[in-house]
Amino acid sequence: MFEPIILKNINVPDSFKIETYLNNGGYQAFKKALKLNTDTIIQMVKDSGLRGRGGAGFSTGLKWSFIPKDPTIPKYLCCNADEGEPGTYKDRAIIEKDPHQLIEGMAIACYAIGAANAYIYIRGEFALGADRLEDAIREAYSKGYLGKNILGSNFSLNIYVHRGAGAYICGEETALLESLEGRRALPRIKPPFPAQVGLFGKPTVINNVETLACVPHIINRGASWFASIGPAKSPGPKLFGVSGHVNKPGLYELPMGTPLREIIYTYAGGIKGDRRLKAVIPGGVSAPMLIEKDLDTPMDFDSLAAKGTMLGSGAVVVMDERTCIVKAALIIHEFFHHESCGKCTPCREGLDWIVKVMRRVEHGEGKEGDIDLLLKLCGDVFGRTFCPLGDGAVMALRGAINNFKEEFEYHVKNKRCMVNGAGR
Amino acid sequence: MNGNHYNLNLKDILKKVFFVDLIQGLFITFNYTFSKTITLRYPDEEKWIPYRRFRGLHTLNRNKEGKELCVGCELCQKSCPTQCITVVPMQDKTGKGIADRIAYRWEINLLRCMFCGLCEDACPTEALKLGREYELANTSMQRSLWTKEELLAAQEIPVEFDGGVIVRARLERDDKGLKVIPDMSVQKRWW
Amino acid sequence: MATVKINGKEITVEDGTLILEAAKGAGFDIPTMCYHARLSKLASCRVCLVEIVGQKKLQPSCVTPVMHGMEVLTESPVVKSARSSMIELLLANHPLDCPVCDKGGECELQDVTFKFGPRNSPFGERKRRFHEEDYILSPVIIQNINRCIQCKRCVRICDEVVGASVLGSIERGAKTGETSFVKEYLDCDHCGNCIEVCPVGSLMSRPYRYQSRPWDLKGVDTVCTYCGTGCQLTVQARNGEILRVISKPDKGINNETLCARGRFGYSFINSHERFVTPMIRKGGTLEPVPWNEALKAIKDGLTEAMKDGRKTGGIASGRLSNEELYLFQKLMRGVFKTNNIDSGSRWNTGAVKSFANVMELNKGGISVYDALNADTLFIIGSSISDENPITDYLIRRLSRNKKMNIIIASPRGLKLDSSATLSLRHRPAAEGDILGGIAKVIYDKNMDKLKDLTGKEHLKNISRENIPDLTWTDWSSIESVSGFMLSANSITIAVGNDVLRGPSRIESMHILAEALRLLGKDVKLFPVFDRANQRGAWEMGVHPDILPGYSFRDGDGLGSEGIIDAASRGEVGALYVVGEDIVSDFPDGGFVREALRQVKFLIVQDIFLTETAKMAHVVLPGASFVEKDGTFTNQEGRVQRLRKFIEPQGDAKADWEIIASIGEAVEPSFHYGSVSDIFKEIKGAVPMYRGIDFEGLDGNGAIVKGSGIGGQGAGVVAGFSLRPKSEVRSQEQETPDPEYPFILITGNHLYHSGRLSLKADTLRDILPEAVVEMNEEDAKAMGVSKGDKVKVKGDRYEATLTAHINKRSVRGVVFIPENFTDVPVNMFFTKGKGFPRVKVLPLSSLSPQGRGPG
Repeated sequence: MFEPIILKNINVPDSFKIETYLNNGGYQAFKKALKLNTDTIIQMVKDSGLRGRGGAGFSTGLKWSFIPKDPTIPKYLCCNADEGEPGTYKDRAIIEKDPHQLIEGMAIACYAIGAANAYIYIRGEFALGADRLEDAIREAYSKGYLGKNILGSNFSLNIYVHRGAGAYICGEETALLESLEGRRALPRIKPPFPAQVGLFGKPTVINNVETLACVPHIINRGASWFASIGPAKSPGPKLFGVSGHVNKPGLYELPMGTPLREIIYTYAGGIKGDRRLKAVIPGGVSAPMLIEKDLDTPMDFDSLAAKGTMLGSGAVVVMDERTCIVKAALIIHEFFHHESCGKCTPCREGLDWIVKVMRRVEHGEGKEGDIDLLLKLCGDVFGRTFCPLGDGAVMALRGAINNFKEEFEYHVKNKRCMVNGAGR
Repeated sequence: MNGNHYNLNLKDILKKVFFVDLIQGLFITFNYTFSKTITLRYPDEEKWIPYRRFRGLHTLNRNKEGKELCVGCELCQKSCPTQCITVVPMQDKTGKGIADRIAYRWEINLLRCMFCGLCEDACPTEALKLGREYELANTSMQRSLWTKEELLAAQEIPVEFDGGVIVRARLERDDKGLKVIPDMSVQKRWW
Repeated sequence: MATVKINGKEITVEDGTLILEAAKGAGFDIPTMCYHARLSKLASCRVCLVEIVGQKKLQPSCVTPVMHGMEVLTESPVVKSARSSMIELLLANHPLDCPVCDKGGECELQDVTFKFGPRNSPFGERKRRFHEEDYILSPVIIQNINRCIQCKRCVRICDEVVGASVLGSIERGAKTGETSFVKEYLDCDHCGNCIEVCPVGSLMSRPYRYQSRPWDLKGVDTVCTYCGTGCQLTVQARNGEILRVISKPDKGINNETLCARGRFGYSFINSHERFVTPMIRKGGTLEPVPWNEALKAIKDGLTEAMKDGRKTGGIASGRLSNEELYLFQKLMRGVFKTNNIDSGSRWNTGAVKSFANVMELNKGGISVYDALNADTLFIIGSSISDENPITDYLIRRLSRNKKMNIIIASPRGLKLDSSATLSLRHRPAAEGDILGGIAKVIYDKNMDKLKDLTGKEHLKNISRENIPDLTWTDWSSIESVSGFMLSANSITIAVGNDVLRGPSRIESMHILAEALRLLGKDVKLFPVFDRANQRGAWEMGVHPDILPGYSFRDGDGLGSEGIIDAASRGEVGALYVVGEDIVSDFPDGGFVREALRQVKFLIVQDIFLTETAKMAHVVLPGASFVEKDGTFTNQEGRVQRLRKFIEPQGDAKADWEIIASIGEAVEPSFHYGSVSDIFKEIKGAVPMYRGIDFEGLDGNGAIVKGSGIGGQGAGVVAGFSLRPKSEVRSQEQETPDPEYPFILITGNHLYHSGRLSLKADTLRDILPEAVVEMNEEDAKAMGVSKGDKVKVKGDRYEATLTAHINKRSVRGVVFIPENFTDVPVNMFFTKGKGFPRVKVLPLSSLSPQGRGPG
C-alpha cells in the first residue's frame, strides 16, 4: 500500500487548523526554502519532474523558470482552484482538509519566482473551502508565515482568495486571469503567455492546487525522492477521484502510472454488483473514454496520451454495462454546451449544434446520417477553437462514437436505447 | 417520252367533268359542320384560361391570414433585366405584412416588361407571381404602370384554378380599354 | 524584415506583420469577421484560420505575426474546408432573413458566404431566437440580437474608440448576445459607429430603417461641415433624396468613425423650413422675388445706404467654403472698399489675431496623426469630446496602445478624461494663466538655459500664491503638468477656440512653446476648431487685420464686435451677413438686436430664416453642403473637397454664385464661372495653397504648407502683458457674488453644432431641448438630479432648462449649449463683461405646490 503524501493529514481531526499542520511538520519546507537560492528551488522542482496536475501536464519547474528575473517587475502567482471538471474533487479535499499545505506550497512558489502577491481563484461553489482557506490565511498571517518580511527574511507575501462565479471556463488559465481582473471570463490570445504578460499585464504563474501541494514535499524530501515515485517521465504521487459504478468511490492517492485496472478493482473495490465494466473516463469528462481492453494502461500523462485520451485531472469515472453511452455522451455535452464561453465560433455554434443533434438521437428522433453529422461537426470544431474547451468536448464525443458506434446507430435506427430498451 | 408530257387519260377527264375534286373538298367542309368546333370565339363569347405556368400580369399575394407576403426586399427589382420594377420599402408595425417591413411602393412598367419571370424566381416569400391575366392592351401609356394596390387585388382567375380550358366570356369595354370577363362555371376543353 | 512564403509566393515584410496583412500584400484574400484593423485583436471568429507548415493546428491569421522563413498556406484543402465550416457554423444560428434585413446587399457575412462558404448545410434544427421585436437602443440605433455573430466589433469600438462603453455581452456560450445591459435608450454618444462596424444586420440605423437597398443608393464622398475635425463622409441618396451618411474605412482621417452630427445630422437638407427663393422686405414683411429683382434691390439699397459716408461691413460664417470666403473678402475689400469683415461674431477680433499668431497657423498645417505622435499631449481651451468628437475618438484610439501622457485642462468634465493621465479643472477664461503658470514653472526650473526666453518678464505676475485664485487650480497640478512636459521629448499642445470666448490671454502659449523649444523639445501646436472652415476663413483673409495668406496688418478695419458697435451708433449703412446668425451668436443678444435695427440695409444669405435673417431687408437663399462644390480647410490645415451631389432646392444657389453675382451687379468685371476658377485665384493670392491640386484632392485631402510670410510671433508677445496690476478685472467679475453663484459658459453640445443642426430632426430627436449642465455636487446641494427642470437666472435673462449632471465638471460653473433657439444663451451675456454670472433655481422651490405636471 502506497503511503499517502499529499493526503497524509486528511483524516487527522482539525486537519485544517494551523496547529495540526505545524504539529505534523508543516511550514518546515518553507523555512528551508527561505534559506535557499531561488534558482536552486526552481532547479529542484525541475529535477523532481513535477508536472502540472491541472490536466496539461506541463513541467512546473520549467514554467517557473520562464518568469523574468528582473526584480523591478511585479510578478504574480495564481492558484487555480476553480475545480470544475465533472468527476473531479481532488483540489477540494486539499483545500477543505489541508489548506496550509497549499499555502505553504504557494509561499515557496512565490519565493521562487519573486512574487509578492498571490491569488487563489476558488470555485464559487466551494463555500466551505473558501472559508477554510480564508481562515487558514489569517492563521498564517498571525503566525508570521505570510505578510511582511516573513520569518525575518526580506521576502513579503500576501495571498488573496477570489471566489469565482460559476464558470467552467475560469479553469482555463487566461480566462481565470480575465475574471480575476474583473472582466468577462474569456480566454486570451496566446502568445503572449502568462509568464510574460499575465495578471494585470505582468508575469504570472498559474498552478493547480495539487501541483502546489506537492512543492513542500519536494523541498522537504528532495527532488530525487519525488522523481523516484512512479514512472520517470511523470513522477510523483497523484490523486485519483474514482466515481461511478464502483463499490468504493473516493479519492485515492497513488503513484503515477498505477494501472487503471488496479485503481478500479484493487482500490475502488470493483464494479458494483459485479457487473461488467463498459467504459471508463480516465481524467475528467473531456478525456475520451476507454473500454475494458485498455484497463491495463498505466495512469500517467504519456501512456494515456498514447491511447488517445488523457490523464487530465485524474477523475476516473466508471460506467458499468447498464450505462447508455449515448445518454452519457449527451450529459457530458450538455455540460460543455452550457459552459462554453461563447467567444469563438466553433465552440459556441458547434457545440450548440452537436447538442441539438445529440438530444434528437437520445430521444429517439434521430435521423439517418446523424452519426456522420456528429463526426463531421467534431471535425469542424476540433483544433479550431480558441481554447481547449471545445477540443475536450469533441474529443470526448469522438471517443464515445468510435468505441460504441453500434449503440449510437441503434438509437437512430430503432428510436430507442440499446442497453435499457426503453424507447423514449 | 419526249413531247408527250401532257398526257391525259380517261380517269382524269372524268374527274374533271364531274367536279370530283370540288365535291370531295365540299364534303370535307360539310363534314366540319357537324364536327367539334376548335376555333375560339374570343373575345365575344369565349376565353382561353391558360395553365398555371403561364406568365401574364404580375400579382402580389397575401398569406392565408390576409397579410401581404411582400416584404419589400427589392430582389425582384434587382433581378429584373429590363428594370421595369420599382420597389420602395417601409416599416409597418400595424401587421399589414408578414414582417414589419412592407413595400411602400411596388410598381411595374408593363411597357418594358418582357414577362421573363425572373422576378418571380427571385421572390423569397412567394409574394410575387406572374398571373394569368393577359389582356393588357390599352389606349393610354399610363395604364401600363401598375401599382401595388392594383396588383394586390385578386386576379379574375383564381390561383387554385388549374387552367387549360375555355370558358364562356363576354366582352366589355370602357374608357380604360377592353376586358373579357370570364364565367368560370361554363368550361370546355379545347381538344 | 522577414521573408515568408505564402502559398509558394515569397514575400518580404516588416517584422511583426500579421499573416493576414502579409497575405493581402501577396494578393491572397483571407476572409475575416471579427478582425478590424483599428481595434484590439480578438481572433474569435476563426474564419481567417490558415495553415502554417510544420504546425499541427491551424492558426488565426489575424493575430499571428509572420516569422522569418515561415511557410503559410491560405488556400490548402484543409484551410478551405475549415473556412467553409466556420462560415457554416456562423450561419447555423444566423437567421436567414436577408430579405427584410437592412444590411442585405452590403453584409460581410453574405459576401463571405458567397465567396468562401458552403453551398448547402445539413443544419435542420431550430434557430436561436432572443427576441421577436427589434430593440430600440437609441433614437438612431436599433438592434436585432438574433443576427449577431458575436464578433464584438461594436463592443470594442464603443469601448476603445468612442469611450462610451455602453455595449457588452450578456449570457455566455450559445446564448451570448451583444447588447447593452439596459433594454432602453442608451446614454451614449449616439454616434452610430457600432452600426458602421457591424458586419451583419445586428445593429442598424433607425433613420435609414427599411428605406432602401445599398445598390439603389448613389453616393458622393465629401467632407463633414459640422466641426473643425474635417471628417470624410459619404452621403447617399436614392432618387435625389438623401437617405443616409456613412463613413468608409479607407477614407479620411476619421476612417470608419463619425459622430452623431456627421452621421445623422443631414436631414436639415430636406427640411421644409428652408427658404428657397430670394425675399425682399416690402412694407414690413419679407416677400419672395426673382433673383434679378433681388440683385437690383441690393444694388440700389447699397447705393442708398452708403450715402453720408456710412460704413459697410460683412460677416461670413466659418462654415462656408474657402472659395466663398475668399470671394467674400474680395467683394468687401475690392468692391465695397472696406476692411470691416470678420468670420463669426462670437469672438474678440483681437484675440483671433493673437491666436492665429501664437498657434503659428501661417507655418502650415500639421496632420493630426503627426500631432498625436507625441509623448505628451496637452489639451486646453476645448470641450474636445463635445465640440470635436472625432478628434476625441482619434486621441482615445491612438493613445490606447501607446505611452502618451494626455493632460486635459478644461472647466467642464470631458469624456476624454477617462483616457487622460491628468485632468485639470479650471475657472473659465483662465487658460492663459494656466499656460503662463506652466511656462513659469519651466522657466524657474531651467533659468540658466532660458536666459533668452522672449516675454519672460511677463511671467513675473504669476506665482504660487495667485494661481489658485486666478485659475481655481492648485500650484501642484501646474507643477505636475510641467513635469510631464519636461520629461517628454515631443509635446503637442492642442488649443481650442474656447480661449477666444473670454479674455484668456492666449499669448502666454507662445512663451510656453518658446521655452520648451529652447529646451530642445519638439513642440507641435494643434488648433481645435468648432467651425468646419474656421481656419480656411482666416487663411482666406476674412478678418479685418488678416489679408489672404496670413499677411497681418494693423488697420482701421472693424471686426464683428466693432461693426456691431458702430451699427448701434447708427454708423453702419450696409451689412452683408453670410451664413452667420449673429443675433444668436453675438455674446449680448439684446444689444445686437438693437444694433441691427439701426443698420440701414441688411443683407442676409443663409439656408434657413434665422433670427438675423428675420431682421434683414434682403434675404438670399444659399445652398447646403451637398449642393455646392468647394474646398474646406480643417483645423489641421488639411484642404478637402466638398462635392456637389444634388441641385440646390428651389431657387437657391451656391453661396459663391450669389456672392459673385452681387459683385457683378455692382462691378461687372467681378465675374466667376466656376469654383475651380476661384481656387486658381486663391492659389495665386495665398502662397500656402500653391501646391494644392483642386481636381486631385482625394479622400485624404492635402495639408497646407507654411508660406514663410506674415506672422509676428514674438511681436505679439511683446505687445501685451500677462497680468499687469491694472488689469481689467471687472471683465471677469472677479468677486464672487452670493446672489449669482455660478459662472455661465457656453459652447457646442455633442449632438448639435451652431444652430443648423437643430433643423435636422434626427438630432433633435436625440436632444430635443436645451439643457444646463452642472457639477454633481452643486446639483446635489440644490437637490437637483438629472432630468429635473431648473430655472437659470442672470441679471438680464432667465430660462427654464433640463438639468444635466457632469460628475467631473468644476464647481461653480454651469454650461448651456449655444445651439437652442428657445434658450438663446447669448441673452445672458453683457457686451464686454466676459462670462455672465447666474443663479440656478430648482423648479420645485419655485412652486410651493411642488412640481406641476410637465
